[in-house]
Amino acid sequence: MAEALRRVLDAGSAARPEGDGASGPPLLLLGAPRSAQTSLLFAAALEAAGEGRGPVLFLTRRPLQSLPLNTPAAREPWRLQKIRFQYPSSVPELLQLLASAHEAPGPAPSLLLLDGLEDYLAEDSGTQEAAYLAALLLDTVAYFSHHHGASGSCGLVVALETQKEADSDVPHLTLLQRYFPAQCWLQPDALGLGQQYCLRASLASGPLSPRMEWSVTFLPSGEMKITPWPTQASKPCSDRKGSSARSQSLTLACDNLSGPQCPLDRTLTSGTGAESKT
Amino acid sequence: MAVTLPAVVEELLSEMAAAVRDGARISDEHLSSLKFVFGSSAIQALDLVDRESVTLISSPSGRRVYQVVGSSGKTYTCLASCHYCSCPAFAFSVLRKSDSLLCKHLLAIYLSQVMRSCQQLSVSDKQLTDLLLMEKTQEA
Repeated sequence: MAEALRRVLDAGSAARPEGDGASGPPLLLLGAPRSAQTSLLFAAALEAAGEGRGPVLFLTRRPLQSLPLNTPAAREPWRLQKIRFQYPSSVPELLQLLASAHEAPGPAPSLLLLDGLEDYLAEDSGTQEAAYLAALLLDTVAYFSHHHGASGSCGLVVALETQKEADSDVPHLTLLQRYFPAQCWLQPDALGLGQQYCLRASLASGPLSPRMEWSVTFLPSGEMKITPWPTQASKPCSDRKGSSARSQSLTLACDNLSGPQCPLDRTLTSGTGAESKT
Repeated sequence: MAVTLPAVVEELLSEMAAAVRDGARISDEHLSSLKFVFGSSAIQALDLVDRESVTLISSPSGRRVYQVVGSSGKTYTCLASCHYCSCPAFAFSVLRKSDSLLCKHLLAIYLSQVMRSCQQLSVSDKQLTDLLLMEKTQEA
């Protein structure tokens, strides 16, 4: 996973690992809605900007109309100044930007973010075109990492808005998973109350890694509150609303483990705080 | 290439590289393992290596890309950092059907690294950008 995003999500838990310059495998942020994905990417950008390891490159087709977050970090101008927003308006423009990244002057970015991959994939959706875009993203990040040398690498997080988890309708999902071993799914949570918007974020850093889960709440003030997904909510309890959605998600979490006999609580303890650095 | 291959392939390639380093020939055993894993692509890839078809192109920036001249004389571009080749077999057998691990061009890159028979070429940063983008026009 791109470490910056995991650190954003981990901020709510006590054990917060120190950044060591490692950026983790390329991560695909899936699910809905787009606005929450943008906010999480922006939070990751602010997090990486605070590390002092070079700028953050934020690519999106639609220019942001306002800051997607109103957190203390988002109000620090020195962080914002380190985020370079670029708005390639078409696939050729995006490819040109990536392929010519080595011609751009200045220090190599420490994090590359692409919001709204669906905006680019919708345009031409051949297998090879999609693979080429994914591969070129990886190649660009590999080049940035090469530039950082021993001082760390460049992370990559790409957001793709999808309607359902593991939906076969998601175009090129299998293909994208080939290039992005780490995936984070966002699902709206039924328990969101009133003005608050609640999401469950579920992250696996590889096909065999345990899932880590968080609850992400967007407050009307524009703030974002992240807490580890409560363990009792993951028990197959039937007394709370939305339990069917939960048990479905649990099944998926179990599928990621080696055997069906794997005890559930082990999944959860290893999933909430434990690090799975690879 | 900083990509993960199945452990068995990694091991096979590193054993072959060790043999080359020691000045030995690549054993028949290794060749038949290669054939076992990659099928007919193995022979075709070895043929490409024999014909010195693999070129590693780099620019002053340090960015790199591979080009492989296929058996038909057509040039394919392969990324240096992850598995991507502009040939139709990669799109069909590797990406769509997932019944091959690599196309013969990507395998030829690995083998040319093992056998140290990779050609080297330096180009300008601008030229490298065009090479990276050329795949797009090749498909069209």
